[in-house]
Amino acid sequence: MALNPIQAEPAQRVPTYCYNCVAGPDLLTVKVENGVATEIEPNFAAEGIHPANGRVCVKAFGLVQKTYNPHRITTPMRRTNPQKGRDQDPGFVPISWDEALDTITQRLFDIRAKGLLNEHGLPRVAATFGHGGTPASYMGTLPAFLAAWGPIDYSFGSGQGVKCTHSEHLYGELWHRAFTVAADTPQTRLLLSFGSNVEASGGVCAVWRQADARVRGMKRVQIEPHLSITGACSAEWVPIKPKTDGALMFALIHSLLFEHPRQRLDQAFLRDRTASPYLVGPNGYFLRDPETRKPLLWDERSGGAVAFDSADAVPVLDGGFTVAEAIEVGADDELWQHRDVRGETTFTRMAETMRPYSPEWAEGVCEVPAATIRRLAAEYLDAACVGETTEIDGIVLPFRPVAVTLGKTVNNGWGAYDCVWARTMLACLVGALEVPGGTLGTTVRINRPHENRLASVRPGEDGFMATNINATTRDKWLAQPTGRSAHRTLVPLAGHSPWSQALGPTHLAWMFLKDAPVGWNGGDYPEIWFLYRSNPAIAFWDTRQLTETIARMPYIVAFAYTADETNHMADILLPDATDLESMQLIRMGGTKFIEQHWHHIGVTLRQPVVAPQGEARDMTWIATELARRVDLLEAYNAALNRGAGGMPLKGEGFDFSLDPTEVHSVEAVWDAVCKAATASLSGGAEVKDLAWFREHGFFVVPFKQADWYLHPTMVEKGLRYELPYQERLMRAGRELGARLHEHQITWWDRQLAEYEPIPRWHDVPGIWVEALKKTGAAPEDYPFWGITTKLMQYATGNNASIQLMDEVASNLRSHGRVVINRAVADRLGIGRGDWVEVRSVVNVTRGMAEPAEGVRPDTIVIAGQFDHWATPYAKTLHYPSLNTLTPMSLELTDATGSGADLVRVSVRRIEGPDA
Amino acid sequence: MTRYIMVADLRRCVGCQTCTAACKQANATLPGVQWRRVIDIEVGSYPSVQRVFLPTGCQHCSDPPCVEACPSTATRQRDDGIVTIDNDICIGCLYCALACPYDARAKIEAPVFAYGDRPTAAEAIRFDAGRIGVAQKCTFCVDKIDAGLAAGLTPGEDSAATPACANACISRALTFGDADNPDSRVSRLLRDNRSFQMHEEAGTRPGFHYLWDKGALTP
Repeated sequence: MALNPIQAEPAQRVPTYCYNCVAGPDLLTVKVENGVATEIEPNFAAEGIHPANGRVCVKAFGLVQKTYNPHRITTPMRRTNPQKGRDQDPGFVPISWDEALDTITQRLFDIRAKGLLNEHGLPRVAATFGHGGTPASYMGTLPAFLAAWGPIDYSFGSGQGVKCTHSEHLYGELWHRAFTVAADTPQTRLLLSFGSNVEASGGVCAVWRQADARVRGMKRVQIEPHLSITGACSAEWVPIKPKTDGALMFALIHSLLFEHPRQRLDQAFLRDRTASPYLVGPNGYFLRDPETRKPLLWDERSGGAVAFDSADAVPVLDGGFTVAEAIEVGADDELWQHRDVRGETTFTRMAETMRPYSPEWAEGVCEVPAATIRRLAAEYLDAACVGETTEIDGIVLPFRPVAVTLGKTVNNGWGAYDCVWARTMLACLVGALEVPGGTLGTTVRINRPHENRLASVRPGEDGFMATNINATTRDKWLAQPTGRSAHRTLVPLAGHSPWSQALGPTHLAWMFLKDAPVGWNGGDYPEIWFLYRSNPAIAFWDTRQLTETIARMPYIVAFAYTADETNHMADILLPDATDLESMQLIRMGGTKFIEQHWHHIGVTLRQPVVAPQGEARDMTWIATELARRVDLLEAYNAALNRGAGGMPLKGEGFDFSLDPTEVHSVEAVWDAVCKAATASLSGGAEVKDLAWFREHGFFVVPFKQADWYLHPTMVEKGLRYELPYQERLMRAGRELGARLHEHQITWWDRQLAEYEPIPRWHDVPGIWVEALKKTGAAPEDYPFWGITTKLMQYATGNNASIQLMDEVASNLRSHGRVVINRAVADRLGIGRGDWVEVRSVVNVTRGMAEPAEGVRPDTIVIAGQFDHWATPYAKTLHYPSLNTLTPMSLELTDATGSGADLVRVSVRRIEGPDA
Repeated sequence: MTRYIMVADLRRCVGCQTCTAACKQANATLPGVQWRRVIDIEVGSYPSVQRVFLPTGCQHCSDPPCVEACPSTATRQRDDGIVTIDNDICIGCLYCALACPYDARAKIEAPVFAYGDRPTAAEAIRFDAGRIGVAQKCTFCVDKIDAGLAAGLTPGEDSAATPACANACISRALTFGDADNPDSRVSRLLRDNRSFQMHEEAGTRPGFHYLWDKGALTP
């Protein structure tokens, strides 16, 4: 290739988006010179619209190299070596698109002839997509093909379900429509961040808002075992023993309840917006009116028990009372009829449960000084401004500028229920839930509609929101899993929305392929497995063993960017046009995911900035071809018309529906979506076509700030947050236990124990130690906690083969290194840059040591996900990965089906990466 | 008069290296060369530790030792404070690099590319052979500033006349502008906040200022 060619054309700047991580989309422009993309720049047209004013995350700067990476797969490929394994050369040979699609089509026809479900009722077709739903912003109209096909098993995770903020997703959505949680950063004054690495993984919106807040004077206290990127930018770092966050939060609640006057709490919020006054009977269920079955509370005015929704009642928050007549309704409609029964408010139950958890007690668990805990509780209460209000969009709302956020490993795996509950209770105690300055949800994914959090709030039973929960009653429980992670069978809170499969215990799907429990019909391989923007052989756990399981998949079709550790086992590779080469319109704005609180809502276009490399094809073209060849064109187009392209093509006052019988071009499809989206957003006032979007990039309409908060909707609908007492979950857990035992399933018993109405402290770290002992290993041989952390350059984006990311990330101490406490390193004779081996009972990873002061002496930190052996460029780096070390284990799986990035490890100095 | 400077607010910087990446693309620096970078510093001992992210690069000093050290006059200082290198004159002796207290200069002896010996299409189109074998460093995107000025734009206010790193910064940690204009954002930031310069004791009077501690906010 000639260097420095003559500039024949003036450079163009083309608007598009990056959604490589869940914190997107970032709006950007690409400088194109002579048809070559050369430079990523912010989209300055988004000033005043985008919360970070059109700035672009560092990951997006890798898109230029991503486009021109010489290691790309640029033609369809077919495997010639029938043997699969890490040690096998796949023998991929180029084939035509026709041959590739014909081969896949024949397989799919064969499956349709046999039936979409196998003899165990499980889909014969499986698909795995990467992080947090982000592939949906790149896969064009593939969802329409998937919808047209029918049942597909999405159980084979690449981390979803267990490495996401899982318990926050499930409990958060139950309690305050908070699939994802954020502080109201623009107004918060005190933020207690338990391991939430928002400066690395919150995207540009989080970084922009948090920086403004810091300079404004917000205090963020970072509580975590090591001094992360976010810890570095915080006012205070509190080192805490891994997996003891729940104990610290319990102690904060204890301090608020027992070390400060009760009137300093937001008693009105607790009384009116939570179930705190509801009375609990001797069997642990709500005392209910015998006729209406409504929960009872004690009315101060009448001096008796009345239904929770009685007009003019003055509920009593705290205490025990004798109720003349009441019933309790237990699992499977078990009924207790009471006369003169003693009932306590759920607030009292909660307070008594928290009474033992003093700061001194917590110090013994968390290794955080009691004085620090007590001070944080006092600061939290002082900053909460209980009683104050503020006006937003003409609405007077409570002003509670304190928030608590949780990070991964805190809010997934054992102990996460404690943490998510305690975090939400900390907000409730001072009325800081879903109000300005407080702790907010941003997204709904289990309930509908996904695009409108407030509209998902509908009245349900007992004064709470109606919630999508999987049934556990004898007549409705799904004994036969519909997918291999058994999300509907094992995890009531996972619900049954399009996202729910990914919210089940996705590691069980993998584990049971290898070794299913006796009698479990969930351990058979799918007949064809599609893979898109995902590399589970690197991104999941126990990756060496997982690789062997993947090698046994009967048939793998991988959309492939480069060779990687998972598509090494593929039968067909399909080169899709990547980020800067393909087209899609997606939603943006409103409130969503991580710190995305906008004053606008709209859509943005990703467009071909440059021509695709080689034979790479747009995903919409591929999906359309698959649909056409599998005789599903009408169903595919119908799915597009219903909204599978991101929005329905027909609505009130507009109809841009596609002819179901025709094959439509990529441009025609997205032109229709552009028009429908703008018509829908503007109420029919404006219709913008594809040509308009290619020039302007995005379209928005205003979004009210008041709609960031659930509080006005809860007040309007007269609803209460389902806190503090988890009566419904306790009942669901007991019913689930009964169902499983009726089917002789006892291997989920430990998980059933988590269905407590109020969490109590269990020795959470001890679960990992006990699991270690059960393998026959001696705990003293694995004296460290192995944990991971994120760097923005790699956070949830597959940038391992991008040289630029590696280069700039190398300015950070933890990139590609094993971070170890300096004093410990000295004791072990380990110096900076020395090669070390980190070992768990599962496997071994190697990397260079980075002794640091900002890490607990009992903790080892390995950033990112590496240990590549097939991905070009990445495999030359010799970077370590915690995923290699972390077991997939039923024992380490909590009731929500989640685990945590945590493992007991040893460390020793070695001579080199191949030692 | 005009004195262009950069202000880095350490309260805002999160070490994300977006400025580093933006600089590398805007200036087409080869792998391993970083005119702008953010270093990761740890101070104290466990558990009383602070970790700070510090954007750095050429400080465009008022008294630049590199200019004095340069035997060929390739390194010069403009009236607006920007220190430049004339590749046609530079002999690559690196006296300038030795004189610089900020480790701001680099030299590449032979082309290197992201993926081996051959440039990608994007690297090929931006490759500048004139940079091989000579000293190189941050220019404050001087070409962009000059083009912007010629178009009537204000550096530090208009993105088309502002260095790529400041444009790209996702936390508003980097602010560029004219310190001699009392109404510029950099002047207000320096006026309203506590600041320091790196290696002030060296007497170089850097054109790079760091905001730190708890000064008043100037939006």
